[in-house]
Amino acid sequence: MKPQEVCQRAIKLCKEEGATDVVVSVNDSNETMIRFSNNQITISDLLNELACNIFVKVQGRSAGTNLMDLNQSTLKAGVKKVVKMAKTSPPGEIWARLPQGPFSYNPQLLNGSKVPSDAKKLVDWVQGAIDGGTGEGAERMAGSLIAHNSTVTLMTSGDAFGVSQGGSLEMSIRAFGKDQASGHSVSIASREGDFKPEEAGIEAGRLAKMAAAPAMGGAGEFDAILGPMVFSDLMNQVGRVASAFYIDSGMSFLKDKLDLKVAAENFSLIDDPTLVDTYGSAPFDAEGLPTERTKIVENGLLRSYLHNSTTAQKFKTKSTANAGLIAPHPFNLVVEPGKESLDSLMSRIDNGIYVTNSWYLRYQNYGTGDFSTIPRDAMFLIKNGKIAGSIKELRISENMIRVLQSIQGVTQERKWIKWWEVDTPTLSPSALVSKVRFTRSSQ
Amino acid sequence: MEDSLDMMINLAREKGASYAEARYQNDEYESNLLKNGQPEVSTFETRKGISFRVVYDGALGFGSTNQMSRSRLKSLVLKTVATAKSSSRLRKSPLGMGQAEMGQSVVEITPRVPFFSISLESRIELLKEADSAAVRMAEKCSALLAGRYVSLDTLTTERMVINSDGGRVHSRIPRVAVDVMLTAYQDQRGTAQRIFSIGESAGWESVERWDLPTRLESEVKALCSVLSKAEKMDAGTYDVILGQEVVGIVSHESAGHPGEADRILGREGAQAGETYLGQSDLGRQVGSEVVNVVDDPTIPKSFGFYLHDEEGVKARRRYLIKEGKVNEFLQNRETAYFMGTQSNAASRSVAFNREPIVRMANTFVEPKDHSFEELKEDIQQGVYIKNFMEWNIDDRRFNQRYVGLEAYKIENGELKGLVKNPILEITTPALWSAVDAVGNDLQFSAAYCGKGDPMQGIPVWTGGPHMRLRNVRLGGSA
Repeated sequence: MKPQEVCQRAIKLCKEEGATDVVVSVNDSNETMIRFSNNQITISDLLNELACNIFVKVQGRSAGTNLMDLNQSTLKAGVKKVVKMAKTSPPGEIWARLPQGPFSYNPQLLNGSKVPSDAKKLVDWVQGAIDGGTGEGAERMAGSLIAHNSTVTLMTSGDAFGVSQGGSLEMSIRAFGKDQASGHSVSIASREGDFKPEEAGIEAGRLAKMAAAPAMGGAGEFDAILGPMVFSDLMNQVGRVASAFYIDSGMSFLKDKLDLKVAAENFSLIDDPTLVDTYGSAPFDAEGLPTERTKIVENGLLRSYLHNSTTAQKFKTKSTANAGLIAPHPFNLVVEPGKESLDSLMSRIDNGIYVTNSWYLRYQNYGTGDFSTIPRDAMFLIKNGKIAGSIKELRISENMIRVLQSIQGVTQERKWIKWWEVDTPTLSPSALVSKVRFTRSSQ
Repeated sequence: MEDSLDMMINLAREKGASYAEARYQNDEYESNLLKNGQPEVSTFETRKGISFRVVYDGALGFGSTNQMSRSRLKSLVLKTVATAKSSSRLRKSPLGMGQAEMGQSVVEITPRVPFFSISLESRIELLKEADSAAVRMAEKCSALLAGRYVSLDTLTTERMVINSDGGRVHSRIPRVAVDVMLTAYQDQRGTAQRIFSIGESAGWESVERWDLPTRLESEVKALCSVLSKAEKMDAGTYDVILGQEVVGIVSHESAGHPGEADRILGREGAQAGETYLGQSDLGRQVGSEVVNVVDDPTIPKSFGFYLHDEEGVKARRRYLIKEGKVNEFLQNRETAYFMGTQSNAASRSVAFNREPIVRMANTFVEPKDHSFEELKEDIQQGVYIKNFMEWNIDDRRFNQRYVGLEAYKIENGELKGLVKNPILEITTPALWSAVDAVGNDLQFSAAYCGKGDPMQGIPVWTGGPHMRLRNVRLGGSA
């Protein structure tokens, strides 16, 4: 059966079994990943998948499944089981009907570009990126290149129907020099013309070179510049916990803060899946609603949580078209640009630290936003407005709201970031944050 | 299925592959979630497909599909071989498969109480009962459970692995896990949070034994005590007893990950990172002589249980640190080939469409002979850190931080009042070298270890007995 027929058949069967609301999506995806380390290819992965996701409600009772075998009998058995599961589940707190269509979707968002996935082309890109980094003086390069093409067919009992197709390219590359010097860069794109793997390799190599012979960093409070890879990681946290699901479950430092000042006035964060030809763009959410541009934080004020129809009803508002059938989520985060350059931000610091990458962010308390994260790769001391040496082995031990409220400025230049640590594509500037608390091992 | 896998291997060999491996994997999940006492969406899923690996001209190729007709499988073999062939031009040191003791057997864990015999209503009813017990306990403690999240997951994994080196293993292993997140609130005191997981490779009988309502009651009681009674502590140098849950995460992060051979070789360099250990560090003293850290996939009912890994290699107990010295790295056949040693069966994959890579299974400090009473009796000024919330470690596995949740002062050998969020921020050798005594009360926690690209969260146990550290610096409460 063709995907559209699978959707029609599944919805019909679900209704016959007694479902009141049904969402069916069929995802046909092809992904090629080339992983490399020590300047050579580690493995090439080919991941092909055809799967059908079915979500049903029987009034306030809901259930879901993902079927990977789409023949008639499997589909029928899967439908029977999922509707039965919903019927026997105790009712949830809320029964929100699915959004009622039909809807029209932006054709540019529906029809994204397909990206190349042939092995020779991808290996050439990897070679170019490795050469870019070693050309800057790096000894070893490691990373991954992912080419992904997919077609998503979505249909709901609320008369939503759309077929979205497109591709994405992602290069994450790390350069290693001597004595723990390293640098990391990424390039992501939704079309071939915007993809710059070699530039990513060059930037990683250049950072590794600049970070040569790092000295032990000292603990204390420092004005800090958080580069796009660090700031996008923090923005992913803000975007994630802006989901009404996390607000409701006590897992968000944004709880009870709507329309309150959560950040400095110079800071605005938007979820914008409507940006054509970007990695995280999407024509519809998981309930079939046309996606929207949602201001999460505007000039420091928390303007909106992210909702699907169920959380919207609970919070007595309208969906922001961010479904997630269980938890709403951001698609494509955008930090509004500032007016300054990186040099200009740096010139404002007498004694500070420039962090280019971080990972392993963990919370002491999701509700308060107390967390720590570990800078990795190039990190520099800033003295009198200029880079004054490479440092290592520090940890940022902070509170998320305090960091947001201490943003002194963000750069005009921004970069799209997505990699192993940053799930949601994020257009991020560098940010100057005052009095960031750095700690280090005591023994 | 076996015929299809054999067909794939034969075809790859005909096309010139020096090694071929086919794996059929079927994961059957069922998941139930209760948020703030209300059922969220219940889900079930069958993830079934075939993965295929080849070594061609010194390059490794991996392919997977969930469309398992013979023509699709043949096409997958040809594409995987072709992609490996293309990437071989960027392979300066040819890759191979190291020596290993290949398995040829069937492993099936039969649940005493099968998952299918427990209805959805019964599962949700159990979660609701546990949730209600938690809420009642919070009320008794004059606190509010402002956020509750309790999930119950059952998973049965069937695998068949066949390779061109004689490996032929078939397994069927059930797993069950409960994950809990609790937020307690009190006016004036704010919030405190606790996250924990329980998991085993067994059937529903494990859930019955866990007695979730009683477990949640005791967790909430302790959490409310932390919230209402924990006092700020001064930073300083203390003798410290780490609780079993903390010893477990330390074993995993600061002995298991550093000893993964793929990190040592730089294979995970751009993602999960590398390690402070090098190939020549076998025998290096990184801790005191009382420290033995073990990783053992063969423990019955353990969350990370298996008897053969995803390369068909027979599993065994591995001593990562023995008497304080680095004793053995975790190896799969690829890393063993480069290091000139044997695989010790550390190759794991979370699904049919994920590459098998070097992973831990059940990592723990081996117990010795001290009771908890004996560990604390000669501590004059100390802190007992029973469990934790925040933790992280750098990508060389050298600088780590563990922030205690339930923690007590120790004065003159006695537990005194609760202290708030003691912070242990320390290097790996300093941590292991500070250990002067190890308890006899081994206990495990369940966890999902994240590694790989695409990310693979794999079931593991972390554990240990209570463990005493002398003269370590604790950062004070914020």
